[in-house]
Amino acid sequence: MPAFTAPESGEVSDSDLVKRCQEGDTRAFDVLVNRYRGKVYAMTYHMIQNETEAWDLAQEAFIKAWRAMPNFKLDSAFYTWLYRITHNVTYDWLRKKKIQGDGEFDDSHTDHRVAAGAEAVARQEPAPDTALKNAELGVRIHEAIVKLSPEHKQVILLREVEGLAYEEIAEMIPCTLGTVMSRLFYARKKLQEMLKDTYENAL
Amino acid sequence: MKTPSEDHDLIRYLDGEMSDTERASFEVRMAADPMLNSEVNMMQRMSADLRTHLPAEMPVPYADFFNSQIQMRISQEESVTLPVSRSWWFDWLRIPTLATAAAAVAIGGFMIVQNHDQPASNSIVHSIYVPNPTVRARSFHSDEAQATVLILDGVEAMPSDRQMVSFHIKRTETDQEMATTTLFGESGQVVAVVVKDSRNQPCLLSANPRG
Repeated sequence: MPAFTAPESGEVSDSDLVKRCQEGDTRAFDVLVNRYRGKVYAMTYHMIQNETEAWDLAQEAFIKAWRAMPNFKLDSAFYTWLYRITHNVTYDWLRKKKIQGDGEFDDSHTDHRVAAGAEAVARQEPAPDTALKNAELGVRIHEAIVKLSPEHKQVILLREVEGLAYEEIAEMIPCTLGTVMSRLFYARKKLQEMLKDTYENAL
Repeated sequence: MKTPSEDHDLIRYLDGEMSDTERASFEVRMAADPMLNSEVNMMQRMSADLRTHLPAEMPVPYADFFNSQIQMRISQEESVTLPVSRSWWFDWLRIPTLATAAAAVAIGGFMIVQNHDQPASNSIVHSIYVPNPTVRARSFHSDEAQATVLILDGVEAMPSDRQMVSFHIKRTETDQEMATTTLFGESGQVVAVVVKDSRNQPCLLSANPRG
């Protein structure tokens, strides 16, 4: 499951906050929102590549989590549970968008801009030309991701960003292991094709 | 042409999903197949770049607003469960325990309805109606500033001679037969009359903000 960030020493645990939420404590929920909003937002942003819509969807995920809180049995980590909700909210949005034909998942999508904080933070200050190449690569990667179909985007992000194992991806989507592997393969092939010149020029 | 199984082997190798035996066998194949070796190398570099440029955590724009909106939505949903005698879109104005405010944004201007009986720190924007679908309305309450800000995205620049009007609503009266709601100001004057259209959406029938 997604990398779980344990609360720092002295912080109230997720499970205690969840129990308080289940008693109707909205302040406890606010603490959980503070703790996980960055991860939830990153997931929605990477999936749809639109700052405003990602912001709204991240909110929607938290609202759904609040509504479903009474039924959450704490049989998994809170973030894992929240992550599933976020994933479902975002994927449903993408599917609806695709059905409506509002924004095809192809290279017609040109209004992308890289969100603040989306770039990697280098451990050491890179040389200016290296930094520029890095920034260009970041833009190209975002442009390539946005062109993937929802299904391919989904598996790539679950694997590369969240680091889920195949079985976990299959459980979350849900689908068979074979489907996960096929989608991952074709998603990578498409990305490879779109980024081909980047890597070939770098050789 | 490669078989699906070979495709799966490639990504299972990349993702570390192979057993030791399978991995050793695959590396023998790579050593004997320069094209496969090259593809693996390119995909490994691409995966590393994806992880670098797609961070698992990102700063949320307007983070405080993000949280306050969630709290507001939760409050709204909780209030829906309170018993109300009639179903009418303005009934929330009658809930005495909540300091409520509403904004109605019309094409030619906008209207804000706010109950000032409660301190500003308890103020909640409870309903926003935007008849123009291209306009997005949000509100943001700051306890620190003791202010509620209405944000309208997509509104065209207002002409300088356009008058912006806001007014406080003290009470409302609903006429079920006429399907109208009359809004009264602080001194009891009629400020506006609102009616529901065929799509059950409220629209301003008449307004007299100056009383």
